[in-house]
Amino acid sequence: MFYTPSSKLPTHLILRNQLRQVFFPFLGIHLPRPPQLFPSSPSSEASSKWLDAHYDPMANIHTFSACLQLADLHGDGEYKLVVGDLGPGGQQPRLKVLKGPTVLSESPLPALPAAAATFFMEQHEPRTPALALASGPCVYVYKNLRPYFKFSLPQLPPNPLEQDLWNQAKEDRIDPLTLKEMLEGIREKAEVPLSVQSLRFLQLELSEMEAFVNQHKSKSIRRQTVITTMTTLKKNLADEDAVSCLVLGTENKELLVLDPEAFTVLAKMSLPSVPVFLEVSGQFDVEFRLAAACRNGNIYMLRRDSKRPKYCIELSAQPVGLVRVHKVLVVGSNQDSLHSFTHKGKRLWTVQMPAAILTMNLLEQRSRGLQAVMAGLANGEVRIYRDKALLSIVRTPDAVTSLCFGRYGREDHTLIMTTRGGGLIIKILKRTAVFVEGGGEAGPPPAQAMKLNMPRKTRLYVDQTLREREAGTDLYLLRLRAARAYAQALESSLSPVSATAREPLKLHAVVQGLGPTFKLTLHLQNTSTARPILGLLVCFLYNEGLYALPRAFFKVPLLVPGLNYPLETFVESLSDKGISDIIKVGCRLVLVGEVSVSECGQGPRVAARMGWVSAQ
Amino acid sequence: MAEQRLEMRTQFPASAESLKPRLKKAPEFPILEKQNWLIHLHYIRKDYEACKDVIREQLQETQGLCEYAIYVQALICRLEGNIQESLELFQTCAVLSPQSADNLKQVARSLFLLGKHKAATEVYNEAAKLNQKDWEICHNLGVCYIYLKQLDKAQDQLHNALHLNRHDLTYIMLGKIHLLEGDLDKAIEIYKKAVEFSPENTELLTTLGLLYLQLGIYQKAFEHLGNALTYDPTNYKAILAAGSMMQTHGDFDVALTKYRIVACAVPESPPLWNNIGMCFFGKKKYVAAISCLKRANYLAPFDWKILYNLGLVHLTMQQYASAFHFLSAAINFQPKMGELYMLLAVALTNLEDTENARRAYTEAVRLDKCNPLVNLNYAVLLYNQGEERGALAQYQEMEKKVNLLKDSSSLEFDPEMVETAQKLGAALQVGEALVWTKPVKDPKSKQRTTSTSKAASFQQPLGSNQALGQAMSSAAAYRKLPSGVGGTSQLTKPPSLPLEPEPTVEAQPLTEASAQIREK
Repeated sequence: MFYTPSSKLPTHLILRNQLRQVFFPFLGIHLPRPPQLFPSSPSSEASSKWLDAHYDPMANIHTFSACLQLADLHGDGEYKLVVGDLGPGGQQPRLKVLKGPTVLSESPLPALPAAAATFFMEQHEPRTPALALASGPCVYVYKNLRPYFKFSLPQLPPNPLEQDLWNQAKEDRIDPLTLKEMLEGIREKAEVPLSVQSLRFLQLELSEMEAFVNQHKSKSIRRQTVITTMTTLKKNLADEDAVSCLVLGTENKELLVLDPEAFTVLAKMSLPSVPVFLEVSGQFDVEFRLAAACRNGNIYMLRRDSKRPKYCIELSAQPVGLVRVHKVLVVGSNQDSLHSFTHKGKRLWTVQMPAAILTMNLLEQRSRGLQAVMAGLANGEVRIYRDKALLSIVRTPDAVTSLCFGRYGREDHTLIMTTRGGGLIIKILKRTAVFVEGGGEAGPPPAQAMKLNMPRKTRLYVDQTLREREAGTDLYLLRLRAARAYAQALESSLSPVSATAREPLKLHAVVQGLGPTFKLTLHLQNTSTARPILGLLVCFLYNEGLYALPRAFFKVPLLVPGLNYPLETFVESLSDKGISDIIKVGCRLVLVGEVSVSECGQGPRVAARMGWVSAQ
Repeated sequence: MAEQRLEMRTQFPASAESLKPRLKKAPEFPILEKQNWLIHLHYIRKDYEACKDVIREQLQETQGLCEYAIYVQALICRLEGNIQESLELFQTCAVLSPQSADNLKQVARSLFLLGKHKAATEVYNEAAKLNQKDWEICHNLGVCYIYLKQLDKAQDQLHNALHLNRHDLTYIMLGKIHLLEGDLDKAIEIYKKAVEFSPENTELLTTLGLLYLQLGIYQKAFEHLGNALTYDPTNYKAILAAGSMMQTHGDFDVALTKYRIVACAVPESPPLWNNIGMCFFGKKKYVAAISCLKRANYLAPFDWKILYNLGLVHLTMQQYASAFHFLSAAINFQPKMGELYMLLAVALTNLEDTENARRAYTEAVRLDKCNPLVNLNYAVLLYNQGEERGALAQYQEMEKKVNLLKDSSSLEFDPEMVETAQKLGAALQVGEALVWTKPVKDPKSKQRTTSTSKAASFQQPLGSNQALGQAMSSAAAYRKLPSGVGGTSQLTKPPSLPLEPEPTVEAQPLTEASAQIREK
């Protein structure tokens, strides 16, 4: 009695249990459910408002919110889900009807469905709603899931000039080249665009024109448009099950209202741009308001008597969803924000979303008189807002691309979502759940509670600080003193560097030992980049009364650039009085051929403080 | 297509039968716009891969005649950064339907993004001929003219745009023009109107708040910044500005909590760490202050304000060598500010380099126009050096400045400064000059006066916190200098703490904000 297994699905006891528990919660939904029946429900908190009824990541449903409808298609009080499925990659359009978690029926569609709608066509009993699918230039109407009627959009009037030209071509009064020129002229400035036939013709090469004209001249030219969006509008009663008209938005920037029984065009309105989303309230025969979000980023408001838009909202962004909540329009823009407007186009509020909005729909909980907006975001959240207050966040394993809320099976408050990867998620709102404002984020941002990441200071730093306080003046003068010392060192040639570029030399002398014999090491370095130095001589100038050196004069081997050459010699101190003196070291370059004597630096001196050492 | 129809028939036997003789379509030609709606839906959901697939299919089927498919492809190209390619595609669209203003608008937009503003204006003008009443055209024309430096034309176009339809963006651009012209009042007018029109736009609120701050109208500034923070509690600019105002009032803890939000969002912001550092300075946590300021300095090594603050904190810490180092660095970046030289002189005095200190003072006095502290400190130095005549001259100079400030507003002077000045006056035997509107009431300072001999008290100030207090108020004075207006109210708030850091801090987010405004 609860569950009649579909003939196509010869299964499953588990499924049956599942259904019983899920779709008839009053039978015991609050009992603990076996978790294995409900795979992958990551966020099943006890406090959650939602019951995870079903999740099938492989449901293979790819669609938009406009193609999702919940309806009691058979009039048995058991609501089904109608999906106009685009198929993977938009390749296999299908009409799917789901009952519970299973597909009840599936039939291929001739073209991709742009929108689906369910509506009552007439007052007859039994009151089963008809299903309308807009696809290409046609609306396919089903009753009891059987094809019932196909409505095609009326042809658009062709450009009379164009018509004329083709008529002439038909009678061979005009040659293809002239035809082409004339058509070009029409395209340049005409109000009415050319037909596909003419446009194709204009693309052709000269050689193909003749054949094309002959092939097509007998046909009358046509202009056909397609449906971009569809919604329903009550005819003359506000009841839930009152007869409704279909409202179509077309690619040629028009809105059409169709008669529910005869499928004739009751009203026609034109828009400045192509409508993408429609939102209607009121009754066609009494008064209605129509909001159309268009491709130029504007939303146009129309009323019953207006053939043209009465108000216009310029979003300066593309609308990605349009929902009417009571008397307020909520628009999601592709700049990640929700805006709300009155019917006269006055902006009420704006809420920023954390990620791009993918789809939007209305959440209506009649028992509590709640109307809220649901927005599926690219970060895998579905946010629910009443006005600008966040009521709830539903987190899903994949980004939700279409969603709807309403009665499904026999459960009044069901949220149906399909994901980017083709998954299907069904959640049920707990009967005890109450949406409270601030259910999402409130108060100061969480970052405010976080500690500042301060750089720490070490003990060493503190010690240095203290030292600076004590010896600040010294530190301040450090640079000056260092500069002075350096200048002095330069002046006294303690560690001389050759001043001329011709002999790039560096000389550095070290004295080692305690005496009376010392070792004097000269470090010679050729500082040029590439050129070796040959034929250098070193001589020592010293007080012969104090010191004795084995050789006061010797030749230096070839100096390779960059290398450090230590040259050692011994120095014997002759005096026993502890006197010290200076030994001067000279470097001279003997050039081949002539004896050019040039000095390297200032004649480096070694301050050999030998006596000082021995005096100790 | 014929096959398709056949298929359709089989699927819809009922509908096919129930239909009256259907209007036949030209079978060879699919409808060009067949999948435009799908392309659009994929596009607005930012599912560009799927979008491109549909476009490719559609273009193949229609042999490249589907204008909307090309249009969206161009839009995606532009989003992906291939602007040149998008330009070419839009031009193709414009060929396919030459009467469409939208195509021209996009061509112009691509030109604009390529930096060809002149060409863009021409195309926009072309588009404007097709569609007279499009705010977007006017707005974008205005923006182009801004880049072409034709501000008058830009203003006209933006006003036209506002006339057609009001948008926040237009207000922002218009305000920017006024800021570029340096007309703060007009800019404020514009932003006021904008906030009236769109009271929840945080960017508008923040900018207006910052402008008020720049003019020194703190009440209104705080109001608008507060509003901005109500709508977006994580707004970086608003938090920094509001935080700096809180610092001004000594609410260091509140300011710090607010800064935490920013520290989370923008952890590498030099002004933020500067402000945090000065908060700690206000709370007398000097080591923390120095760490934060050093981080700020690391992040923005060429910002003289951070260096200024570092100098100030190091002076307080009696690390005069470091202070000297930072202050001289600051002077290298900002050689036109008297206060900097004065602080440098204070550091030099403490480093016992009186000769250089004096030279720094000379420079400070030469550059500074209205801060009496510079002259007072100089006078003290001269007096300590035994040059009473020079000291007297500086003292008189200071009195002049004080009188000037007093005339222009009813302000209170830093009590420490007043006290020092009075003592110096006595020492110089100028007599109790009645320049000070308010007698000193600080009991502590009185004690100090009595406890130390006059000469000693004069030798002390420059090394003590007293001098720093003066330095602070001098910094306070700096705050108003650039604005020119109300340059006198600077001393209205006697620092409640001896060390009040707010002025430099406040200058910080301000300039940053104005820099940001200019950038846009």
